[in-house]
Amino acid sequence: MPFIQDPGLVDEAKKAGWLTRLYRRRGLSGPVAAVLLLGFLLTPLLPGKFPTIVATEILIVGLFALSFNLIYGYMGQISFGHGAFFGLGAYATALLLRYFQMSAGEVSYFGFFLAILAALPVSAFGSLIVGFFCIRLTGIYFAMLSLAFGELLFYIVFSWYSFTKGDDGIQGLMPPPFFQNSTHYYYFTLAIVVMAALLLWRITESPFGYTLRMLRDNRNRAAFLGINARRVMLMNFVTAGIFAGLAGALWGPFQRSVSPALLGWAESGKAVFMTLIGGAYFLVGPMAGSIIYTGLNAYVTRYTVFWPLTIGLIILLIVLFVPGGLLSVIDQRISRRGTERESRERIPPEAAPGPENEA
Amino acid sequence: MPDFGSLLIQLFSGLSRAMMLFLLSSGLSLIFGVMNILNFAHATLWLVAAYLTYTFFQILSNFLANEALVLVAAIVLATGIMFFLGLAIERFLVRRMYPRELPEQLLLTFALILIFSDLIKLFWGVENRRIVLPIEPLEVLGSFVNPYFFVIIAAGCGIALGLWWFLHRTRYGKIVRAAVFSRDMVSALGIRIPVIYAGVFGLGVGLAALTAGIFLPIMPLSLGIDMDLIVQCFSVVVIGGFGSILGTFIASLIVGIVYSFSILFWPDGALAIIFIILVAVLILRPWGLFGTEMRF
Amino acid sequence: MSGKILEVAGLNKHFRGLHAVRDLNFVLQGGDKTAIIGPNGAGKTTFFNLVTGFHRADSGRIIFNGTDITNRPSHEIARLGISRAFQISNIFPKLSVLENVRSAVQAQMGKAFDAFGRADRIGTGETERIINLCGLHSKPRVAAGELSQGDKKKLELALALAGKPKLLLLDEPTAGMSLEETRETMALVDRLNEELNLTTLFTEHDMAVVFNHARKVILLHRGEIIVEGTPDQVRMDETAQRIYLGMHHR
Repeated sequence: MPFIQDPGLVDEAKKAGWLTRLYRRRGLSGPVAAVLLLGFLLTPLLPGKFPTIVATEILIVGLFALSFNLIYGYMGQISFGHGAFFGLGAYATALLLRYFQMSAGEVSYFGFFLAILAALPVSAFGSLIVGFFCIRLTGIYFAMLSLAFGELLFYIVFSWYSFTKGDDGIQGLMPPPFFQNSTHYYYFTLAIVVMAALLLWRITESPFGYTLRMLRDNRNRAAFLGINARRVMLMNFVTAGIFAGLAGALWGPFQRSVSPALLGWAESGKAVFMTLIGGAYFLVGPMAGSIIYTGLNAYVTRYTVFWPLTIGLIILLIVLFVPGGLLSVIDQRISRRGTERESRERIPPEAAPGPENEA
Repeated sequence: MPDFGSLLIQLFSGLSRAMMLFLLSSGLSLIFGVMNILNFAHATLWLVAAYLTYTFFQILSNFLANEALVLVAAIVLATGIMFFLGLAIERFLVRRMYPRELPEQLLLTFALILIFSDLIKLFWGVENRRIVLPIEPLEVLGSFVNPYFFVIIAAGCGIALGLWWFLHRTRYGKIVRAAVFSRDMVSALGIRIPVIYAGVFGLGVGLAALTAGIFLPIMPLSLGIDMDLIVQCFSVVVIGGFGSILGTFIASLIVGIVYSFSILFWPDGALAIIFIILVAVLILRPWGLFGTEMRF
Repeated sequence: MSGKILEVAGLNKHFRGLHAVRDLNFVLQGGDKTAIIGPNGAGKTTFFNLVTGFHRADSGRIIFNGTDITNRPSHEIARLGISRAFQISNIFPKLSVLENVRSAVQAQMGKAFDAFGRADRIGTGETERIINLCGLHSKPRVAAGELSQGDKKKLELALALAGKPKLLLLDEPTAGMSLEETRETMALVDRLNEELNLTTLFTEHDMAVVFNHARKVILLHRGEIIVEGTPDQVRMDETAQRIYLGMHHR
């Protein structure tokens, strides 16, 4: 009884354009990702350096938000300390770059790539330690413990002046000459973020990805189906930490400096907001949220210093009325229009319409 | 090694801080116990109340000479306003979040932190504020101690007793406690749950406001102290255990005194020490000293 | 057939003063179809919770197929071959029916940690088989949270079956079902018992179901086994009658 192939759908797909086909097969994230990619590729064509620089920031923080969503949207836990891994990655790269700069005067290309790669094991290790404790809890307790650990790591970086230069941060980071050009660095960042996103997509559509969703929807039942919830959570937590560290690694050379604030709850909060704005149940939701958040921030801070008030009100409205984020609104509109079109095109069946006969 | 005098001062400081934590955390615990909502913005609302009390104090000082009277009047006014603000927040915002999932509830109260702390900045600016009561320092055991500490401790105990009396001896209080155990039973008895929820939230916020007013004379106000405080309140509620007044009390003593003494040795890291304790408790005994054991 | 599949010895569980399960002893043979009956609060669900690792036993032992599973974590017990269908549908509401069953199948296949395979290509055959078996073939893409109650129970059973269990625990499997649905569901359970030698243990309040589908009946009351035997033996037993008469009077 083949139900996976619905003949009606197959015929329709042949008629529809490639964008619609992408939607049918990959959900909303497919076409949205395609559109975003196109936009990102063409951004440097806009006049001036500003669009490119803003877009670089959008990409980096967007990747950070994507990593956060592994824990939130896919696994159902909220971590207020995820910024710590972003910051750890940033500091790992920054410290290595500074070392190369001080010993050799400038950073070689090999050194540069090495510095970026170094962020991965550092953030992996950090998230392994923190995760080991956090996964023993869920819900509010998980949120609080992750916040507490994040702040603890912040304090360590803040206080360990001899190693991290504390509140002064690490300044004067210079990537190799080719990457000092903002457009070059932008495309480099884009390449890395696209690869990371593809990897994330692969992970979330794997059996492991659905195991995460099972934990999100019904943790107890997942255990009764033979799933070791803690081990899954830890694996996911560390994976998310590594991707956050990768984003952090890109941040230092971009901003030419790092500071302890990158590890704090304010930074963690950014990831949460972006995910909420864009939509937690879509792969590219956090990236869409990053565009909106960063754009909004750049715009609002030009006119007022009361950015927290603004974003607070926006978050409030979204949580109250559109908790699924922007992409969920788009998704609903599309499926509603699709259902309408299908019911218009189909000849009504003889049986009376009921819940089982809905398209 | 600091001398006995400054140790004594730290002890008083710790005790009064413990008292403040106890009063604030009780409100937090009460709201959580009845409505299962963790009000992240509790300390921020406390700070709003403090600034409000400050302004009323400034205004009323022009009309009355007796500072004590001015303070009391200011506290009453501010607490009243905050109580109604609490009712409004519950009625229009928090109420919509009951059927929702935890992360969204946390985000709502988190957004409130952003909104209210920026509103403070909007109305009161960034300079520190303080009120000064003309009180002669008292000499105790070779050191000078602000006698207002005793007022605080007395007032704090009074409020705590009042809260206990309300919860255990009045009809309304018993209804609130019943609602913690079973909201279904309470509504089956014909009592309107929404009214209870609104009242409890208002009570919690009002309690925070009262606390803010009482502590105003010894506490300089500045932006950002709410974040320090909410973390300490969390720590108290976690260490003591949700739903246990005794636990809250003891945990307040622990956190208050540890924090005050940590300031002596490691000013920047006093909060970090609290974090470490919080982390340790969450790892070893997440339900706290007196909470009910839970499975995760 | 096979030997003892489940052995319970001296099992005890207290909840803050309530002695929910008292000194429970019994044996289940492989291939048995057994019903546990008893008034509400008798300890049936607590017993299931103890067997599946959701509660820690205060004392006693539970041995499954020769392995001591007392106080082992739930996921280990599930992997050893005990599955459970819950009374109140315990499904994954945001996932589709297809994704629900497929993920359970993949977990059973040991693929829960596979982060690079394609979820929509692994275990599809087995998923299709189970969905068809449980009568959900007409709505694979519906979100589980939006199913009707009856369909949720079908999904519930499908999830339990996806674990390829050797022992299936069913918590009031026909609660809230129509006559037709009850007949279908229990016919399926019987078929599984016969064709796969799947040992079934279910709790029930519906006596017709018990007498038509159980070869052995255990009467539980206040945490203790009062009577054990074939349905007829239990029906004739005086103590059992007294308990149920007492129930009706109340």
